[in-house]
Amino acid sequence: MKKYTRSIFTALACFLIVVVLNFCLPRLLPGNPVAYLTGFAEEDMTPRQYEYYTEALHLNDPPLRQFMYYAESLLDGTLGYSYKKEAVVSSLILERLGYTLQITLPAVLFSTLIGLFWGLRCGYKKGGWGDRLSTGALIVLNTVPSFLIALLLIIFFCFTFRLLPYSGLSSAGVGRGTAEYVVDRLAHLILPVGTLTLASLPSRYLLVRNMAAGISGEKYVLYARERGLPDGRIQLSYILRNIAQPVITMAGMGVSVCVGGSLVIENIFSINGMGSLLSEAVYTLDYPLMQGILFVTTLIMVVSIVVSDIVCILIDPRVIWGETA
Amino acid sequence: MKKRARLPLVAGLAMLGVFLLASLFPALFSPYGQKEMFAAWLSPSSEHILGTNALGYDIFTELVYGTRETLLIGCASSVLTLLIGAAVGTLSTFRGTAGWLFNGLINVFVLLPRLVTLIVLAGFVGSSAANLTVLISAFSWSGTARNVRARVIHLNAAPFVENCAILGYSRGHTVLFHLIPNLYELLLSRFLLGVNSCIMMESTLSFLGFGDLYHPTWGTMINFAYNRGAFIRQAYNYLLAPGVCIMLLSLSFYLISLYFERRRETISEV
Repeated sequence: MKKYTRSIFTALACFLIVVVLNFCLPRLLPGNPVAYLTGFAEEDMTPRQYEYYTEALHLNDPPLRQFMYYAESLLDGTLGYSYKKEAVVSSLILERLGYTLQITLPAVLFSTLIGLFWGLRCGYKKGGWGDRLSTGALIVLNTVPSFLIALLLIIFFCFTFRLLPYSGLSSAGVGRGTAEYVVDRLAHLILPVGTLTLASLPSRYLLVRNMAAGISGEKYVLYARERGLPDGRIQLSYILRNIAQPVITMAGMGVSVCVGGSLVIENIFSINGMGSLLSEAVYTLDYPLMQGILFVTTLIMVVSIVVSDIVCILIDPRVIWGETA
Repeated sequence: MKKRARLPLVAGLAMLGVFLLASLFPALFSPYGQKEMFAAWLSPSSEHILGTNALGYDIFTELVYGTRETLLIGCASSVLTLLIGAAVGTLSTFRGTAGWLFNGLINVFVLLPRLVTLIVLAGFVGSSAANLTVLISAFSWSGTARNVRARVIHLNAAPFVENCAILGYSRGHTVLFHLIPNLYELLLSRFLLGVNSCIMMESTLSFLGFGDLYHPTWGTMINFAYNRGAFIRQAYNYLLAPGVCIMLLSLSFYLISLYFERRRETISEV
């Protein structure tokens, strides 16, 4: 119990560090903070513009006061203003976030489930040919960069066999809300989600497999086997129960890993998600937007970790049975 | 048993040897200079094993010359990661506020979304090879630190540390001369795996276009290939060859590390 509350605090501390980092970066780095915070070069601005931006960004106020303004922009949900795109940062991100989540969430789900069941099975039968084969294969897959997986899949499915579309999330000329639209969207999602699943599967699998392999030598597993229980039952009610908490934590951490991975994949599949927004922001030197994206990703990560910790607390038998250990 | 365990080591060392040779003496492998131009988009032939690229450079030559940059960034950032990780990991086992603080630091850095932070920071400070190296290691040390911390706590209970205390050695002396030498094996395996994750990180950043254009690595090559329309021209070898090299290099480090990792059950996360 105490362990999980502590890790929730750590997540919040991490969040705070990103906020402070975001605040300090443009102000401490060599160069003019006005240039960083607007994204315009200093020499392109007229003195009046310069005055205006300095005033608008509260750069003449004492640092603590500036931090209060920054914290306010985070709390009211605007996350600052992108002068390059002339829009509020949060609205820019919200527009794109949905697409990123459409790729990320299924990938987290698939890779966790496949990794879990496959890993359990191979860990339970460790040393067998199935275990050796799949562990070896996934170790190799673990060394393949995610963009290589994406490129291979595109070449194979889109160029050689012309089975699936390779860019964007919907075809032109398909009306929104129709059944055709949904099918079309699903067809577009297969490859990005598949890439992300393949890229994050090995680490999940190896983790579960190693934990399960460690446990399958325990006496209670042996006893369960002696009693003639079916393998599936032993895996689910004996092994999984004992490794459930690290698995849940892993799934929580997996969300942030997949959000990171989707940045790469969106660029390859030309999906207008947060990843391509981040690339745009970096290429156009739109610093407020970059900071906003860093903030939102950290937020997603903190939320997923807090949720997974709460689930861990809820399923902890010591909590369920009302004992205080 | 012993013979079987040695096979991955030999395979890994052989592969790594080829890559090292290519990085030290690139001229051995390719008959052409780095900036020698031919016709653009030639398909693979006996003269150009992988064909030529959009500017007419020989792709295989580019690949050979990219080895050095890739290995350099990977190894340098891995060494830096190791130093930070070992230092913070050891410091975090100290009693009192300092230890608590460093332990908190480790836990926070484990959670940070690495790729996004790196992209944003690379955007702010600019992406030269040196910057990338420092940035990558500044955000990759947490795993090493965690392992070092666990091992040091384990060692602290060992009799020889008690002996040191009885002999009246200071804590600093004990750590420097008695604990850290015992971390050798752990650090070696973390270094080998660290090279992998650093190379992966660097190539991902370079692929996204945040790499150092003056020192093109394999990631940068794929980025070029992708942006200059290798897809449309069906020059798949241009797209895939650098990726396959990254994969083989990672695999060779992984195989070597498998040998050093005594218990095969602890295949840790890369």
